[in-house]
Amino acid sequence: MPFISKIDRQSDYNLFPSSTPIVIDNGASYFRIGWAGESEPRVVFRNIVQRPRHKVTGETITIVGDHDPALFKYFDCSRSGPRSAFENNVVSQFEIMEYVLDFGFDRLGANGSKIDHPVLITECVCNPVQSRRNMAELLFETYGVPSIAFGVDAAFSYKYNEQQGVCAKDGLALCPGFITTHVIPFVDGEPVYKGCCRTNVGGFHVTDYLKQLLSLKYPYHFARFTWEKVEDLKMEHCYIAPDYASEARLFQKGAKEAEEKTRCWQLPWVPPPTEQPPSEEEIARKAAIRERQGQRLREMAEAKRSSKINELENELQGLDFLLHQLDQVEESDIPSFLSETGYVSRQEIESAHNKVTQSLRKAKGEPKNEQVETEKADLSTDEKYSLVNIPDDMLTPEQLNEKKKQLAIKSMSEGRQRLKQKRYEEELERERKQQLEEEKRLENPELYLEQLHARYKDLSERVDQQKRLKTNGGNTNGNNLSGSVGRGERLNAAQRERMRLLTTAAFDRGKGEDTFGARDEDWQLYKLMSKDNNDDDDGPDEDEAELARVSSRLVDLDPTFIPKVEAGTSQPAEVPRSRPLTKEDFQIFLGLERSRCPEILFNPNWIGVDQAGLDEMTGVSIRRLGYKDEGFEERLTSSILMTGGSSLFPGMVERLESGIRMLRPCGSTIKITRALNPIMDAWRGAAKYASDSQFRTQTFSRMDYYEKGEDWLRHYQLKYTL
Amino acid sequence: MEPEVVEAELVLPSYFSFKRVQMYEKYPKGQARGRHWKHLKQIIQAENYQNYPPDEPNYVNIESPPSMHPCKRICDITGFEAPYYDPRTNLRYANTDVFKIVRSLPNDYVQRYLSLRNAQVVLK
Repeated sequence: MPFISKIDRQSDYNLFPSSTPIVIDNGASYFRIGWAGESEPRVVFRNIVQRPRHKVTGETITIVGDHDPALFKYFDCSRSGPRSAFENNVVSQFEIMEYVLDFGFDRLGANGSKIDHPVLITECVCNPVQSRRNMAELLFETYGVPSIAFGVDAAFSYKYNEQQGVCAKDGLALCPGFITTHVIPFVDGEPVYKGCCRTNVGGFHVTDYLKQLLSLKYPYHFARFTWEKVEDLKMEHCYIAPDYASEARLFQKGAKEAEEKTRCWQLPWVPPPTEQPPSEEEIARKAAIRERQGQRLREMAEAKRSSKINELENELQGLDFLLHQLDQVEESDIPSFLSETGYVSRQEIESAHNKVTQSLRKAKGEPKNEQVETEKADLSTDEKYSLVNIPDDMLTPEQLNEKKKQLAIKSMSEGRQRLKQKRYEEELERERKQQLEEEKRLENPELYLEQLHARYKDLSERVDQQKRLKTNGGNTNGNNLSGSVGRGERLNAAQRERMRLLTTAAFDRGKGEDTFGARDEDWQLYKLMSKDNNDDDDGPDEDEAELARVSSRLVDLDPTFIPKVEAGTSQPAEVPRSRPLTKEDFQIFLGLERSRCPEILFNPNWIGVDQAGLDEMTGVSIRRLGYKDEGFEERLTSSILMTGGSSLFPGMVERLESGIRMLRPCGSTIKITRALNPIMDAWRGAAKYASDSQFRTQTFSRMDYYEKGEDWLRHYQLKYTL
Repeated sequence: MEPEVVEAELVLPSYFSFKRVQMYEKYPKGQARGRHWKHLKQIIQAENYQNYPPDEPNYVNIESPPSMHPCKRICDITGFEAPYYDPRTNLRYANTDVFKIVRSLPNDYVQRYLSLRNAQVVLK
């Protein structure tokens, strides 16, 4: 892991004399601050600022750099992501820069009234003067810095490596950084900006490309691909293929090497609890429990029944006894005797007796023996309806009443009889039909099935259409159920018609003379207008019943048939059960992506940047220098230094060499070396530079700045060789 | 604030003794977030590079020129060499298998793939 933050507060700030410069490598990805002359920066952190909200108190706070992600659970970061002061390697957002500097100086241990040390801070090549001026003003006015020097990080790195004997005085520094990639030619130990070139592609784009590709490839694990995680994946797994085209062909063929090159990232996955088939004992135990419960229920029902029988028998006995007594009581005493018992007449007691006997029989579970009863009823019809056939004028008022009652009872029982008869006939009819169909089926099963299918389709279409008409395509937002129609709702056909009638009635006034009501049909209008008009469904639809019948028959006969789920009902159709997720669903494969992503440094047009790639840039740089001297150009290419974070990809040097070889004349020497530490060397070079006794001559103070003005600042350039 | 947050000194304090002008003085609360800093485009425009000799290096003219190499086209989805291109989605694809995927992609995915190489449809 090449990038590690160090953010512990330093305690020895006051031990340094005010002449010791503070060295800042203000890189787009990392901010490094430390003391001149030391070999390591004291404080290193990501050059970002976040302004999340505290979840409890709701206050917005400022967080600089990267911290333990576990601490971020107290903050709501959804409103603002990490922000950088940089835009294409140029510092443009100075408010953010100020937060970063605050944090940097604070962690370096600064505690005086101002930063009383010269500052050497890095900037990009050919930094626009406005950015440089703002930075200078910020350091002078806010922090009280006595003097400043600006230098280029890649140049410091090159000089540092030159002093360590890695590269020569004449050479090229290739610096694929975080946002941009620079090539800086060095002549006689000094960078020549005339020959510089910059492509706006860097490590940031590589990570972003990988992140996008992965989240497109695995949309379900989108949340897993955080910036930090993908950055880690990039640094761990990405490499640069010697020849991308052949690498891609390897993967396309699915060769063995490609398989070996594929990396797999297993996301945390817990296998779902496997459902064990219940054991024998379990089944037995459950059955026993069910049996016991059933037994108990049966016993309860039995007890209830017996108690009911008991009760009824007691009542019957009572009634029998009463009747018996009644027989013994003299005729004249009957009313007084009856008044004690609560019955009005002997008849009443008999009917009660009858009722109880019947219910007792029912409770005991004896067959009702209807046939007998009906016969009995037939026999007794004459006496039951004794008064029906007698003309009214021959009866007393009580008898008249009685007659009415008898008439009602008679018509009712007759109606019941008729209904029974009808049902019976229908049953017969249905059976006959079924038999007919069965015969048809046996005759030619396929044809029959086909016909059935056709009929089903036809019916279901018709039913659907009817429904659509009723609900107007189901567009009533489910409000149709409540019967009322809201303002913005669609109306069904009947409701629309009603509305039309109402409006025409409302606006029909005053047009000629009023003839409403002259004809009888006019009054029909009110019936149409009435609200109840729309619930006109006359019982279950015939079509629907037929459809149900056909579909049930189809289910019986055709195992492949699936009845259509009723659309338009409020319950959503049941979602098909997905297969259980397996371990393989939680694997992220990095195949060709491993080499595809860093390849954009060589082919920026893959991410839509129409500029030359890293290898071509060296050619552009040499051309821009314009020396036209073979020997000199060869000197340059024999001392190429790679620095910057993105030069860490494995295979970078080999790929670059083959790329540059294509540009150079045959047989020229090309020597590419990676810097001792491509990430730290810029700071180390700057620290070494700032510790030189001649460093003072390269800085400028606040007075210089205000005296010499902006035009001078524009041309300000450090001498890297002291 | 929670004790562990305080202990980690996560939150940047608003007062520093070494600053002459504090943040809250420079960007008072309640005002529209202090000063609007120019973006790079505006900075470059304000630099008036056209007034300076063209052979003098500046931020704009050190940019690399477009590549002179023949453009390698890769399949937008798999990264393989892409000899074909789908006129309906504008995606490049390597073979028939990928073409099936291309045609089955929903439009927002197509646009996301296109935006990888900055070729998506931009509505203005």
